[in-house]
Amino acid sequence: MKQKKVLLSVSLLGAALLGSANAAPGAWKGTITMYVQEYTPNWPDAAKPLKAFQQIADEYQKANPGIQIKFSTTPIPDNDTNVRVKAAAGELFDVYWAQSSSLNSTLPKGVASDLSPAFAQPNPYIPGNKAWQDVMNKTQVAENRAPNGSVYVLSADNVAFTIFYNKDLFKKAGIAKPPTSWPELLAVSKKLKAAGINPFHQVPSYPWWGNFFVTDFYGKDFARLTRFDGQPGQSGLDEAVAINKGILSPKDPRFMSWWPTFKQLTDTWPRDYLTLDASKNYDAFNQDFVGGKSAMIFEGSYSIRGLQDLGAKFAVGAFNFPTLTKAQSPYATGTYVANSVGGNGSFQYAISTPLANKTMRETGKSAAVLDWMRYFGTPKNVQRIIAENATYVPTWPGVNAPLSASFDSTPFKQQATKPRLELNVGSAAPGLGWTDMQRIFGLYLAGNITIDQAKTQVQTLLDKSANDYARKNKVDFSKYK
Amino acid sequence: MTTSSQGDLPSPVVSPVLRAPQRPLRRLREGWPAYLFVLPSVVLMAYFSYVPAYTAITRAFTDWDGLNVPTFTGLENFQRALTDPVMGQAALNAGIWVVLGLLLAVIPPLLIAELIFNLRGERRQYAWRSLFVVPIVVPSLVLLLMWGTFFRSDGLINTVLSSVGLGAWRHDWLSDPSTALYSLIFLGFPYVDVFFLLLLYSGLQNIGTEVFEAGKIDGATGWRRVLYLDLPLLKPQLGLIVLLSIIGNVQYFISPLVLTSGGPGYATTVPALLMYNTATRNGEYGYAMAIAVLLMLVVIVLTGASRLIGRERS
Repeated sequence: MKQKKVLLSVSLLGAALLGSANAAPGAWKGTITMYVQEYTPNWPDAAKPLKAFQQIADEYQKANPGIQIKFSTTPIPDNDTNVRVKAAAGELFDVYWAQSSSLNSTLPKGVASDLSPAFAQPNPYIPGNKAWQDVMNKTQVAENRAPNGSVYVLSADNVAFTIFYNKDLFKKAGIAKPPTSWPELLAVSKKLKAAGINPFHQVPSYPWWGNFFVTDFYGKDFARLTRFDGQPGQSGLDEAVAINKGILSPKDPRFMSWWPTFKQLTDTWPRDYLTLDASKNYDAFNQDFVGGKSAMIFEGSYSIRGLQDLGAKFAVGAFNFPTLTKAQSPYATGTYVANSVGGNGSFQYAISTPLANKTMRETGKSAAVLDWMRYFGTPKNVQRIIAENATYVPTWPGVNAPLSASFDSTPFKQQATKPRLELNVGSAAPGLGWTDMQRIFGLYLAGNITIDQAKTQVQTLLDKSANDYARKNKVDFSKYK
Repeated sequence: MTTSSQGDLPSPVVSPVLRAPQRPLRRLREGWPAYLFVLPSVVLMAYFSYVPAYTAITRAFTDWDGLNVPTFTGLENFQRALTDPVMGQAALNAGIWVVLGLLLAVIPPLLIAELIFNLRGERRQYAWRSLFVVPIVVPSLVLLLMWGTFFRSDGLINTVLSSVGLGAWRHDWLSDPSTALYSLIFLGFPYVDVFFLLLLYSGLQNIGTEVFEAGKIDGATGWRRVLYLDLPLLKPQLGLIVLLSIIGNVQYFISPLVLTSGGPGYATTVPALLMYNTATRNGEYGYAMAIAVLLMLVVIVLTGASRLIGRERS
């Protein structure tokens, strides 16, 4: 009981410090530690190390003598585990990268400070700014909101997704140009297979492919399905309410009608990865593509750098997911959904709490760390950081950074001109995206269960997830119309 | 000075162990240097072995995320574990694994131990023993990853099957729910656990030559010797292997974790993997610890049963 009170006091103190922090870093002097994932400057093994974040840190250090910014350059293979372990020891980084979805659901409460009070205050490093959130993407901030209303990450970029292809293998199979429609994608896959080339060789990730179809089929209901929490974008609450109401559920014919359509595509893939875990096999299927074992790979813009590092020795092209028509599904609405996959990228940073990071108990440190975040979190600095890496799409209004020129970035440019809509299930509970849902999806695609069996299993999973969400977050579904 | 009631016979020397029992406190006081030497080991063992077990048992009754103060939830976690359909499938998988794992733990090492033991010449026996022992320097993860490639659709197993005219037997070994579990259980041909092999081999060495010679006179040669002499005399070693195999296989989850993540579906999910994923993926440490406690109870029951059966047979 005593320990509980101490921890509560320490957490409240941290929250209060963040909430009331003014612009100046104060009298605190010391080292601020950071893990900034892909934007890490001076990465030891990088062929062309990034510099922008270090330059910004140098400028800050110069203006604030006595404060050092130290970037961690140790690779972290499993970020959530790393956060858990370091937080349990009270040694979490002061500023760190973490997926907002993890911070909102599976990571322990108390590893990250609520940044929403600071977002509502002016950022003194942005001239004329009244509230920091005014320069941010409002939909993104809303999507990052936790069920309790907190926002744990400062986010400023998105991952863009596309289908990369091996131009040499396309040529070998006699394919002159990339497909532009679903029937063409199926035809190209069959042609490749007939030529002895695997079209795809990867785990068909449910949340990624599902976003395209679900967002399209529910396109006309977008506003309705994202309004339950009163914020733009689809949050975990929006998702849980829609599941409870039987909208995002097999009870609605649109929800799983795309599975047989999609199976036509995966029937041309080798079965190796169909039923496996995407996160565990990531390196393997990237290597398969780079090694010429498959002609296509559905991946994020972050893999531009990865494919280069793995040594792709062929010309890589890219094309977007095609817009569906009534010929493919009676539920197709013609909505542009090629940019519905992605979400937060590498620029999503949290500040640790005094509970997870003992050094944050030092008087004035929380204020100093927030001041540093305000400094690097300006449109000008965000532009510098994201543009240098050139693998993510900036999301803040007015910030514009081209994606890598070393690959065909036309598909990414097409996506950037369209409003980003995204509907699916994946945030309300840990099993909905990559784990339990993926298992059912994989079994169906591999032909181990029928669509009716899959529907029954999916409904059970959705019911369980929505109920868990309501129980853990004290949500009364009957409140939402 | 002791006295004898038998005249001039010498007085028997009284062994210290036969002395009348001393009071515990006095014994403790007299033996303090010994206790002092043992104390560091006891303290370390208590801290690193008993405290985690105590933590697991107590936190199994709580909702705990691994960082914040746990909240008491009574039997909720146990109720959840016992009614979870995934746990049912996992328990069935673990049962199959324990039974088949037991056969693999006993038969191949016993066979190889007998073969080596019956080789003529110490040097030959030494060489063959060494051949089986050397591979343990290779990290087991390497072995798993290698077998992962063997099981692929274009892997070694399917290639070999095609090349010997058994192309019809080609299979998607790990991605088919009907073969995935058995592929993992029967991974690692020729299934000779080196520790068990050495245990059985040393057991055979401990049987006196006069026993073999007497058995030979009674006609116990070849397989008859193995059945009527070796196996009964290897009972202590076999009992230990059975015990270790049951405990090891109930708690094992490395190959499903590395190669299949418990899939396809839940075809290779075992309770220990469910426990691991519940804690590390979902951050539900309280629930994970309830699964751990249930596993502990299963281990206790199974080992108790195996000891009981062993004792009844002997």
